[in-house]
Amino acid sequence: MRSNKVGWWLLAPTLAILGIFGILPFIYVLYLAFHQWNPFGANPEQVFNGANNFRRLVFDKEFLLAIWVTLKFGVFAVASEIVIGYFLAQLFMREFPGKGFFRTIHTLPLIVAPIVVGSIWRLMTTPSVGIIPFYANELFGIDINIGRDAGTAFLFTVIMDIWHWTPLVTLTLLAALLSLPKDPFEQAQIDGASRSQIFWHITLPMIRPAILATVFIRLMDALRTVDEVWMLTGGGPGAATRYLGLHIWKVVFPKTDYGYGAAISVIVLYLTLVMCWMLYVGLVAPRNKGN
Amino acid sequence: MAEVTVRNVKKRYGNVQVMHGVSVDIEDGQFVVLVGPSGCGKSTLLRMIAGLEPISDGEISIGGRVVNNVMPKDRDIAMVFQSYALYPHKTVGENMGFALKIKGTPRAEIDAKVAKAAAILDLGHLLDRYPKQLSGGQRQRVAMGRAIVRDPAVFLFDEPLSNLDAKLRVAMRVEIKELHQRLKTTIVYVTHDQIEAMTMADKIVVMRDGRVEQIGAPLDLYDNPSNTFVAGFIGSPSMNFIKGKLSTIDGRTVVRADGGALLPIEGVQAEEGRPVVYGIRPEHIDIGPGGLAARVSVLEPTGSETQIFARLGDDPIDAVVKDRFDARPGDEISLLIPPRRAHLFDGASGARI
Ligand SMILES: Nc1ncnc2c1ncn2[C@@H]1O[C@H](COP(=O)(O)OP(=O)(O)O)[C@@H](O)[C@H]1O
Ligand SMILES: [Mg+2]
Repeated sequence: MRSNKVGWWLLAPTLAILGIFGILPFIYVLYLAFHQWNPFGANPEQVFNGANNFRRLVFDKEFLLAIWVTLKFGVFAVASEIVIGYFLAQLFMREFPGKGFFRTIHTLPLIVAPIVVGSIWRLMTTPSVGIIPFYANELFGIDINIGRDAGTAFLFTVIMDIWHWTPLVTLTLLAALLSLPKDPFEQAQIDGASRSQIFWHITLPMIRPAILATVFIRLMDALRTVDEVWMLTGGGPGAATRYLGLHIWKVVFPKTDYGYGAAISVIVLYLTLVMCWMLYVGLVAPRNKGN
Repeated sequence: MAEVTVRNVKKRYGNVQVMHGVSVDIEDGQFVVLVGPSGCGKSTLLRMIAGLEPISDGEISIGGRVVNNVMPKDRDIAMVFQSYALYPHKTVGENMGFALKIKGTPRAEIDAKVAKAAAILDLGHLLDRYPKQLSGGQRQRVAMGRAIVRDPAVFLFDEPLSNLDAKLRVAMRVEIKELHQRLKTTIVYVTHDQIEAMTMADKIVVMRDGRVEQIGAPLDLYDNPSNTFVAGFIGSPSMNFIKGKLSTIDGRTVVRADGGALLPIEGVQAEEGRPVVYGIRPEHIDIGPGGLAARVSVLEPTGSETQIFARLGDDPIDAVVKDRFDARPGDEISLLIPPRRAHLFDGASGARI
């Protein structure tokens, strides 16, 4: 019993930090989402206005566009990261010269701050002078301008996210692959399965939990990206890459319309939960019996 | 069905050679057991037959076809791993039907074959379970069922019973033997347990350190072990070995043990002074008047028989007698050793004389 008490004391700082910086702000955001609050508006008071903030959202064209591009961004980025990450993980399962070096280099983006990642990619993609547009033009005669072309801007935000976060996927999938027992794979060979059959019937189902956990983490992260994209495109051209976080920050905060902003945050959270829940129900739950 | 031929096979891992030219002939329908202490290369040999390990040198053929460069899936073999290697995310039924599904067998046919194998192994009620919901014994049966469903030319078993408790092991031993009698498929079975080898095999291959020590029928190995290693490995409890020298006393050849005793032998011409190892199985020693005097150190009664650890001169010797035996440590007993039961091995090489 005594040791139990000591345990709680040792946990207390963590719990306090979690409460102060995690739970309290969340409750506050939830509270604000149901209030009209513009400290610099005509009425600076917090006025309860029921679900009005949410009702406004449904008719807010800019917000709906932001949701759409955010989802597109999340799906493209995370799907690519999983596929590329898986291949890299498989590569690291093998022995090849310079493996240690390559693996270290490959993980470096993970420790770079998002704002720096954004700056780097901004430098590399600055129209006509950045290394990418320059060589694209020089070598292939392609004109890359993320400041003018919406599709290109979108593409580069996705590529940047892939560059930054694929190593995380590689590491988790590598850990999953390394922890797999070897026997079922030999058994599958004897059972007559080809490489691709082994992948679909054995490997994939066996690392499914790891893949899903990674998808959850990456998706939640991708849906609330702000700083990198802000550095790279500033949300433009137009609103082409104005993802939700950026949308709140660029459109709502300048108007100091905090109640409305809080409502958007809540919706983003809700969307994320719904997506993860759908993934879970669709992919994990039916298979759970076996694992 | 097929015969398997292993011809002068060697295996190297990098610079380390773990198999030094192994040759084994396995006839069609034979139950062959590879036995030997842990690390002697049994699994490696089995895995080379399966195609899971490349062969460094030599030749393996299955059904008359050299398979050195044939993929495991094209060798028409089924294997049961020590760990069972069940697919954790598939049900018992899916596990058993996987090989057929891969082959593109129609659903109905798969179900029929799985049902048939399940009936043989009494797994019918478990088909919808996942491996983690099964006991060790049930998993073992599923692994066997998966092999049976394949109806392969050769079954390969790698210590399939070593993770089971003693009682279940005995039961499964009988069951596997029955299965072989029913299916008549060639079986290569790896174990480190000589009892399993003795009870199940048509032919035993005794291995040590990547070499074959002796090949033969179980009782053949028991009666005529070709060296001290095989003699000591086959049979339980192990054969007694007593070091000594050949000598002649009153015109009879005996072994004068280094510990002092004079041990009778038969049918050997004395080469006076030649160092030898004298071997006698505990179960061939009897207690009765007129034998060699020994002193009891420990008794181990098991009910049906009694194992007596004693000292013959300075040499330890152990004997097993049917029935109860009453003695106390330190008591003197008289050991009857029939000379025709004795084995004689060369003192230096350990080879049978
Ligand atoms: N992948 C490997 N790399 C190096 N040595 C190995 C490898 N696999 C097995 N060995 C060695 O080969 C020998 C035979 O191993 P194994 O066939 O597993 O023995 P057994 O099954 O008879 O216990 C052992 O000495 C073992 O250390
Ligand atoms: Mg082994």
